[in-house]
Amino acid sequence: MANPLYAHIAAVLSVMAAAYAAARWRKLGVELCMLAAAVAGGLAGAVVQTPPIGELARHLVEGTFTYLDVMLVFVTATIFITIVTESGGVDFIVRAIVRAFHRQHLVALLLLMILILIPGALTGAGSVSVLTVGAPSALAMGHLGLSKRRTAAILFIVAGLSAAAPPVNIWAMVICAGTAIPYVGFTYALGIPVLLLGTFTILTLGWRRDHRVSRDEALRAMPQPPPGMNWWRVLLPFGAFFGTVAASRLWPFATPVMGLPLQFTLAAIVALLCSPRRINALALSRDTVRRLVPLLATMAIVGSLQQIMTVTGVRGAISYAVIAMPLALLYVLLVVLLPISEGLLTYGAAAIIGIPLVWYLDSIGLHATIVIAGLSLLWPLGDGLPPTALIGRLTVMVSGYEGSYWSFLKETWLPWLAITAAGIGMIVYSAKLSALVAWGL
Amino acid sequence: MSRSGPVKGLLVAVVASVAAVAGAQFHQHRHQRLPIVAGPAVARVASLSEYGEGLARTMADTKVFFLQGAEPGGSALIMAGTHANEIDALLSALIFVENAVVEKGTLIVIPQLNHSASVYTRPGDGCPLFYGIETPWGTKVFRFGDRGASPLDQWPDPDVYVHYPDAQLLSFLDARNTNRSWPGRPDGLLTERVTAAVMRLLAEERVDIALDLHGAETMFPVTNCIVAPERSMRIATMASMTVTAMEGFENHVEPSPKGFRGLSHREIGDHSDTAPFLLEAPFPFLDQPTGPKTRDLLMTGRDPFLLSLAGQQKLFVPYDESGWPIEKRVGQHCSVALEIINQFSRKRADRAIRISEVPRYADLVRNGVGFYFHDPSKADPARVHLD
Repeated sequence: MANPLYAHIAAVLSVMAAAYAAARWRKLGVELCMLAAAVAGGLAGAVVQTPPIGELARHLVEGTFTYLDVMLVFVTATIFITIVTESGGVDFIVRAIVRAFHRQHLVALLLLMILILIPGALTGAGSVSVLTVGAPSALAMGHLGLSKRRTAAILFIVAGLSAAAPPVNIWAMVICAGTAIPYVGFTYALGIPVLLLGTFTILTLGWRRDHRVSRDEALRAMPQPPPGMNWWRVLLPFGAFFGTVAASRLWPFATPVMGLPLQFTLAAIVALLCSPRRINALALSRDTVRRLVPLLATMAIVGSLQQIMTVTGVRGAISYAVIAMPLALLYVLLVVLLPISEGLLTYGAAAIIGIPLVWYLDSIGLHATIVIAGLSLLWPLGDGLPPTALIGRLTVMVSGYEGSYWSFLKETWLPWLAITAAGIGMIVYSAKLSALVAWGL
Repeated sequence: MSRSGPVKGLLVAVVASVAAVAGAQFHQHRHQRLPIVAGPAVARVASLSEYGEGLARTMADTKVFFLQGAEPGGSALIMAGTHANEIDALLSALIFVENAVVEKGTLIVIPQLNHSASVYTRPGDGCPLFYGIETPWGTKVFRFGDRGASPLDQWPDPDVYVHYPDAQLLSFLDARNTNRSWPGRPDGLLTERVTAAVMRLLAEERVDIALDLHGAETMFPVTNCIVAPERSMRIATMASMTVTAMEGFENHVEPSPKGFRGLSHREIGDHSDTAPFLLEAPFPFLDQPTGPKTRDLLMTGRDPFLLSLAGQQKLFVPYDESGWPIEKRVGQHCSVALEIINQFSRKRADRAIRISEVPRYADLVRNGVGFYFHDPSKADPARVHLD
């Protein structure tokens, strides 16, 4: 006879889906729909004491703290880049790029790709790439002849790759932490695919110009930076941020742990001091937070939803479904499962699915480090998928794309396929690719 | 007043009530004390901050129990609570503190090494805040903790944790993990101060062997085992073979990897004269593919998803309908710890440590874990220590 637990978990999942659908039908926002699903799932679970009803409030509240650090990074990084924009720094950078590389637009795009890869590679967060260098890069791409849709598509894919790039890949680090596999040997196993896939993205999405504008015309159409703006004023705030990141790597035992939110705050203060324009920091911060509220609310509620899914057994059932699958089917379904899990759980997906998956694949003779590298190429794709759609939403925000969200995402189909093929190929043929680890650091 | 005013007011009141209820439970969890009845051999109870000033008046300071033998001999340290969600370790350590009679040498026990982790559960993981162990005198309540220190005590996390002194890059999550922060720094992060204080204790108390007790997922290959570096390998192998042959449970030895830094079984051996051992017992509660994270799962280790995966040969331990009950897990820890001490004492007669009155595997399976805890309300108040 089937264990009654299965029926109960299925019932909880159904109740959550029904609550979400009902809230959607009432035209509530995605955050409130997820909140409805979390509360309803928790109440359904409480019928059989998973969780006990007296603990439901605690689970709902505790879950909202799951992504607190990520939310703080979003707020501080967005304030930082908004100050840089308001000061005229973004306009200054974009004019310089267009002036220097207008004729060789592919060279310019490849340089922009490197620029976008750096912040994410150093911090492990593609969102940091989007929030720091996304806006100037997007503007430059526009003036190099790319439509806003293809600009957003490039920005999204390259920012996702930046999160997977070495030296800091949080999915790999979470899996390594949970599987007791050293976080070493990833330099080439991740670096080579990221650079190849990034170049492929630039060539496929950036080869054709959507419109041609002469250099002078483009420069005339672009906003003028304020008088007094120069390279020092532009680069110092970025230098303050990357300087603190670099210091924590170069002198890790002499540098206090500041955390990304404080590092961005410091950079924001430097940007404020460097601005040739007078900026009302309080009003700017208030407006920025107001703009970010839907994203912050989504992150808080996703944490609650995740906690309710765990305490009711839904999360474990999903993890079980992945692990119990026949191997051939698993390879096929990873193509959709990993991005969807990222869209639902962000980095939590690495713990819930990644850790047991790596143990299992390791036990059947695959090379664990290459498998982890392959998996972590697929996860960033999910950062464009709801409910969180972290990088996707930020990309749309900074690139100024005004079409539908799905039309921008559709534009990414070719690099998306290439990344998927590369990731799955690395997993399936991991044993043959082990030389990448042997060469690596 | 707009029509939405009362609705908004009601919503604010609901949210405030939910937050207040949750806040009260968090407060209770963070401040609930665990009474420990000092057993007959406990001669001194110190604070870890006596070995690391940087821990004084912090949530990371923790009790250190010194169990003194009548005869001089060697010295052993048992650490539990490195990961405060691996409860079998704490329960085993407390059985030693409350029951052990030390005839020769010294036994030092730190029941909650990462004390800060014991007052925190990780958001998103849906764990219970408390669990109870049935005893002949009632239910003894314990806090359930987390793998890492509380961010209330150590925050912010770095974007990547750089291990001292090897500069190996580790996950930011590991900055709060005391099994990645060995050998530590007296002026480093809180977790590094904890391990640095233990390193000083090992040196000052001339500790011969250090045992770090853990629990591991059934899907984790390194479980049901002793992890040992080169210098501990012979003793670990002998202990493992003895308990497997004599006590009827599976146990094997795993070598401590040289390239993975920050772990007790690697760094203690590399940075001190002490021989380290890390003990892993299967702990199904930690596995990802399980049903709800309930107190029942915590106690019995019984789960239908894991049973199904066992049928597909996807677990690294034997698993049947009986799960992995707490008596077996704690019993394994007690037996393996006693056997390591025994094997060391055979090898180094001049530094021998002799311990009695600690139950072994069969005793715990027969009597249960709670049988070995003493009623703090009936004990001499001077012998009851609140940790």
